[in-house]
Amino acid sequence: MKRIIVEAVECAGCRVCELACSYVHEGKFSPSLSRITVIKEDKHGLDYPLYCRQCQSCPPISTCPTGALSRTEGGTVAVDQEACIGCGSCVTACNYDAIKLDASSRPLICDLCGGEPECVRRCPTDALRYVESCVFTETLEDAFARLRMEWNIDD
Amino acid sequence: MTELGGYAGKILSINLTKREAKTVDLDKSLAFQFLGGRGFNSKLLYEAVGPDTDPLGPENMLMFATGPLVGTMFPTASRFNISAKSPQTGILGDTNAGGHLASEIKFAGYDQIVLEGRSSSPVYVYVNDGEVEFKDATHMRGKDVYETDDIIKDDLGDRRVQTAIAGPAAENGVRFAGVFANLMRAASRTGMGTVMASKGVKALAVRGTGSIEVAHPRRFERLVDEIVVEIRNHEQYEGRRRMGTTRILLMANAMGFLPTRHYTAGSFEHAEEVSGERLAEEFNVKSRGCFACTIPCSRFYVVREGRFAGLYGEGPEYESQGSLTSRTGNRELELALKANDMCNRLGMDVLTVSECISWAMELYERGMLTREETDGLDLSWGNGEAMLTLIEKISMREGFGDILADGTKPAAMKLGKGMDLTMQVKGLDLIMADPRGLKGFGLGYAVASRGGDHLRSEPFLELNDDPKIGEEMFGVPEATLRLADKGKGKLISYFEDWNAVIDALEPCKNIMQNMEILTFDRASEVIEATTGMRMTPAEVRLVGARIVNIERAFNVREGIRRRDDSLPRRFREEPLEEGASSGTVFDQEPMLDEYYSERGWDLETGVPRRETLEGLGLSKVASELGRIE
Repeated sequence: MKRIIVEAVECAGCRVCELACSYVHEGKFSPSLSRITVIKEDKHGLDYPLYCRQCQSCPPISTCPTGALSRTEGGTVAVDQEACIGCGSCVTACNYDAIKLDASSRPLICDLCGGEPECVRRCPTDALRYVESCVFTETLEDAFARLRMEWNIDD
Repeated sequence: MTELGGYAGKILSINLTKREAKTVDLDKSLAFQFLGGRGFNSKLLYEAVGPDTDPLGPENMLMFATGPLVGTMFPTASRFNISAKSPQTGILGDTNAGGHLASEIKFAGYDQIVLEGRSSSPVYVYVNDGEVEFKDATHMRGKDVYETDDIIKDDLGDRRVQTAIAGPAAENGVRFAGVFANLMRAASRTGMGTVMASKGVKALAVRGTGSIEVAHPRRFERLVDEIVVEIRNHEQYEGRRRMGTTRILLMANAMGFLPTRHYTAGSFEHAEEVSGERLAEEFNVKSRGCFACTIPCSRFYVVREGRFAGLYGEGPEYESQGSLTSRTGNRELELALKANDMCNRLGMDVLTVSECISWAMELYERGMLTREETDGLDLSWGNGEAMLTLIEKISMREGFGDILADGTKPAAMKLGKGMDLTMQVKGLDLIMADPRGLKGFGLGYAVASRGGDHLRSEPFLELNDDPKIGEEMFGVPEATLRLADKGKGKLISYFEDWNAVIDALEPCKNIMQNMEILTFDRASEVIEATTGMRMTPAEVRLVGARIVNIERAFNVREGIRRRDDSLPRRFREEPLEEGASSGTVFDQEPMLDEYYSERGWDLETGVPRRETLEGLGLSKVASELGRIE
């Protein structure tokens, strides 16, 4: 199955992915409306995008109280807008902090742009790649800890 | 809300004395005449800040403005200008930086944020979408830029808030303190941090959740795609990606215009050791980018060995790296990284700091300054330890550092010596390119509206040294020959107008101007696709000329005339002795004549002529200047 993976040391934190995502999905530029969110730690030069990993076992799907979330054939997570009550339980359930809510409490979840993710296409450093991969489990904390260790930064 | 695309559509005015905030809609005709960013600031500065205004008084206004491209996916559109009357120069103050602050201001709903008055107690101003809060900053007093950023993010419980911070140097009244975004995006020329601190403001913190839409999405997208490809295929792409602007240090050295030991030489025997190549190979670990950048050119470095092991940070850029090495004669790159880090944390402008230090070193080497006067510091060329000590002392206004903390021109007055050796124009210290090796750059420094600086014009075409370009563009082959004098008035007017447009739209000048991406023709298309405003390439250039002229008018009202458009005596009288730029001086007066003629300014006084201003639609300015003369 094809997934988006990230090479942390290549991510420059330019947030072009956020812009590409909100533009494709909403027709406007707004990081608050993108399905991918870059977390930055300027002091240590660290950047990392959060987005849906298409986990086989998806806690947001299983914890959604109204059954509004479901798996699509392509492996992404779909939101049934009518069933969703905007409670935000999916946001806390996700192990990768990949879900956020828009202004009307609607969950924003990556749909891989139907198989041609725009964030990957526009990533200027190729930190994001869309590849055949069975699993990608690195968390932001893992990536930041690894780079800090490589660079001998401890605080 | 204005119906123009690209703009957020609102201007936020904050009165610190009354603790009030009000919002007004962006005026469409202002957008058409001045586009945004530096254009908006300079227009307001001319109208609202007069010659009676004390730069550090409550009546000065501190303006943050960004442009219509920022917040969109337009490559490199990330920048903002901060303007006010400058406490360093007493004339127009203005500075520009990138990072992620400008886009956040747009998403919060604003094109410009204006601070006026003075808070009775220390605050930081928190702009959260439509809300403005004055938050207590008493506990942040004396905290450096990094510490302050942490405290604010903890205080607000939001790590994604963007900050613009004044460091301890600003609070101590150092006149060249900057405002720092993303910790090390230094908006640090002309003392805007000093103005912010004088208003009782430690920081601006911004969070925005809104969106920006463009007028013609398909056309906009096509232009973005075209430009991304152009950048990727550009011959400068790889070098910028790897080294940022530090890629030019060795070239400046080879061409003999790398200021060395306070401009006493044009090349540095240790250039390789302090080059961008060495920084990239030995210290850089990761690239970092400003908002929406497609290069990106910033680099995070880590020092793993030696006495500075454990030091890390972002940058530096060419100006800082050269300033803290060849300009002072320091050959230790790691020490320059340390000095740069200190300036960032303390919140000071590196160029001015290094001018203060290297000027003092020259006086010391000439025997004009004794150890008693320098608090016992040995200011021999290249003494790195003394540099670090002086940086600290300047930031605290302590001892000899206190004398330097107003800049070299006031320091020379206080000491009663060395004025002739201060490398500044209108009180702003010169940059890292010796004008004897780049005559057009030199003219640019002489006339720049914020004082001796290259970013008002930056005629990079001189670096090609190709007469065919000059012939084609200006009908004068010499215009693009770096050591020639002819045609420079045309060259500088053109580049000043161009840079003013870039500063108004707020993408990155390094890419959009230096790489010849956003030409007037291209800008005309981009402006229409983004905002919906139809403007011919000639009209786009007129916006640039309008900005340059209103800035000149501001400075004329402050007393600036032709006599002030002058480079330090050294460049006019003493040729460099060695290297590829030796044997020639800066022949100022004919170049000024040509420039004023090109601009439509009076040859004798350097004041814009009435018909020039009227032709730009600045009739009110014309009548006011008419009364002054």
